[in-house]
Amino acid sequence: MAEVTKGTGVQKSIVAKKKKKYSTNSNLHGWLFASPWIIGLVVFFAFPLVASIYFSFTTYSILQPGEFVGLKNYQELFKDDLFWKSIYNTIYFTVLFVPLSIIFGVALAMMLNMKIKGMAIYRTIFFLPTLVPHVALAVLWMWLLNPGFGLVNGMLDMIGIQGPNWLGSEIWSKPSLILMSLWGIGQSVIIYLAGLGDIPEELYEAAEVDGANWWQKTRNVTLPLLTPVIFFNLVMGAIGAFQQFTLPYTMTQGQGTPANSLTFYVMHLYDNAFKFFQMGYASAMAWILFVIVMALTAVIFVTSNRWVHYQGK
Amino acid sequence: MKIRGKKIGIFFMTIFLIFSLVLAGCSSKESGSNDGGGETKGQTEITFWHGSTDIGLQALKKMVAAFEEKHPEIKVKMVYTEASEGADQKLLTAVAGGNPPDVALFDRFKVGSWAAQEALTDITDMAEADGVSEDLYYPYAWKEANYKDKLYGLPYTTDSRLLYYNKDHFKEAGLDPENPPKTTQELEAAAEKLTKKEGNRFKQIGFIPWYGQGWLYGWGWSFGGEFYNEETGEVTANDPKVVEALTWMASLAQKFGVEDIAGFESSAGSGAMDPFISGQISMKVDGNWTISAIEKYKPDLNYGVTPMPTPTGTDFTTWSGGHAIVIPKGSKNVEAAWEFVKFFGTEEGQEVYFAELPGDLSVIPAVNEKLGRGDNEKLKQFIDILPNSHSRPVIPEGQLMWNEIVDAREKTVRGNGTAQENLDQATETINKALEKYK
Repeated sequence: MAEVTKGTGVQKSIVAKKKKKYSTNSNLHGWLFASPWIIGLVVFFAFPLVASIYFSFTTYSILQPGEFVGLKNYQELFKDDLFWKSIYNTIYFTVLFVPLSIIFGVALAMMLNMKIKGMAIYRTIFFLPTLVPHVALAVLWMWLLNPGFGLVNGMLDMIGIQGPNWLGSEIWSKPSLILMSLWGIGQSVIIYLAGLGDIPEELYEAAEVDGANWWQKTRNVTLPLLTPVIFFNLVMGAIGAFQQFTLPYTMTQGQGTPANSLTFYVMHLYDNAFKFFQMGYASAMAWILFVIVMALTAVIFVTSNRWVHYQGK
Repeated sequence: MKIRGKKIGIFFMTIFLIFSLVLAGCSSKESGSNDGGGETKGQTEITFWHGSTDIGLQALKKMVAAFEEKHPEIKVKMVYTEASEGADQKLLTAVAGGNPPDVALFDRFKVGSWAAQEALTDITDMAEADGVSEDLYYPYAWKEANYKDKLYGLPYTTDSRLLYYNKDHFKEAGLDPENPPKTTQELEAAAEKLTKKEGNRFKQIGFIPWYGQGWLYGWGWSFGGEFYNEETGEVTANDPKVVEALTWMASLAQKFGVEDIAGFESSAGSGAMDPFISGQISMKVDGNWTISAIEKYKPDLNYGVTPMPTPTGTDFTTWSGGHAIVIPKGSKNVEAAWEFVKFFGTEEGQEVYFAELPGDLSVIPAVNEKLGRGDNEKLKQFIDILPNSHSRPVIPEGQLMWNEIVDAREKTVRGNGTAQENLDQATETINKALEKYK
């Protein structure tokens, strides 16, 4: 017994001593534990990032150092038809997909928030598609959208509509892609669900006392209080949409067919970097993308003051 | 003071640990497994990157075993890298990082652009010293392994493209199955007779010029065009004959309804559901590998092969691709690597390799003959045309040219601009990109 007491006494004194030391050395500890991550960040992220600014002013080809050409890569880009086409395709996709994903996402989340038996199963079902790898998703949808034997046109046939040649037509290829991408909104639905769970029950009760119907409750309680989450998903969705790559790349075997209607910005960038040995040019493209995405995010942030409501404000 | 010293010690130990982990990750490739066989003293080990699986891998293993038997001083370490694009990226970064394999299999089409980037070892002198020369190979295959009069690899495999036609469909439509079309006019007339349309859906389609392997390259050459001028070093994709070929392709597209064709194309399956095998399309241009596919999925299909028709019905040609064995720049064992390249790229290795792959063609005429490839009456036609075959121009912008030509074809058959306009534009783009290599 005495031994134990003695032991704790010693330990206590060590703890006290350490506490004193911590105050002076805690920074060092922090850096020490974070160092693997920090080293990784610097070596594999910060350095390439800075290097790519430099490369965007050169004719760097990965294998050859290349020479400094100033703004030539940027000038060339503005003359590149496919560059503009890929920007058009990317904006087309973003402008349609992001709002649709928010509308469907919120609607789905509200449905999945109802108090029904077996809701966990429904929630799982809607989340499952997001677990499917993009490549598999692309292959699956190529089957579903097949104009000859695909399920989608088969069902349209039954109600007497002749479905379009989804992925083979210039007009329909992008809408098809948007449709396919909506399949994967389960991720944002989860975030909306969390947001819905945060809305205080008493607000609904108060609204009910005032005689509000379902639509008035949704319009005046649910949606305003959900805006911070919508805001988050809007920013993330826009950034993600601008970087669209895997689905169209897999479906078109990297060709962006038909007639480049599925050549997205990052696909064009990838081709230049790894197929045409134009890493400098591709770096310039990457920085233009960065500027576009930053500007877009800034615009969303600025306008957010008008429509995002934080509780307690 | 003492404790502080200890902490600095821990700090450095952590750093050391991280770096040793990183280094271990890098070096494990070299000290790793030896494919079972132990390395004996004085033996050089060469690393060999390939993307073969299944029977291709078996053939490769046989060939490597034969090489090792002949050269006990060299051990070949085979490393599988996925086929297609991923492999290129891996090889590219390995060369850029200064740690490439000693030997790699490589799409010969890319020799031009990789050589222009100085990513491949020039093997001209070694080949000359060992008497490996042009006369061993089909001319186009040798040409495709050279860039600016320097040799950058040895070709080892090839293919060619012919017109496949369904004899039963021919009989049914009142055409002579033993007398397939020779001129493009005959082809067009046959296509019309063979096409059965219901509304805007095809029950059976006679022919789609670009379907399967019907690339503009093949038709351009068949119409007598040239895509490249070796003297000026300029691309001539807008050669009048190539324009003529594309105009003809587009006219067929208009005749049969391009949107309906596109619908047919995107619903076309592969393997057993290939529309030629399932009888939905009566004629198509395709490569020799399709013979094996038909044997596998529908051995009783009554079909024939014939050269791609030309406007005159003479001067038949085709185009061929294939692979090469290369020594990437920065290989640590160039001499041993060359021994291996030489073995695989000449008769000895080719015989062992192709003996295992009865449907494939060697780039060495003598090997095809020795292995009796011509015994198969259909495969024989694919071999017979090889001496007149073409390879795509060996230029640093080969991939860009491919993309541009595919784009021009697609735009034209969809009615976005004429063949002349689209090919002029493609030619200009490629030539402009080529300027920086001059």
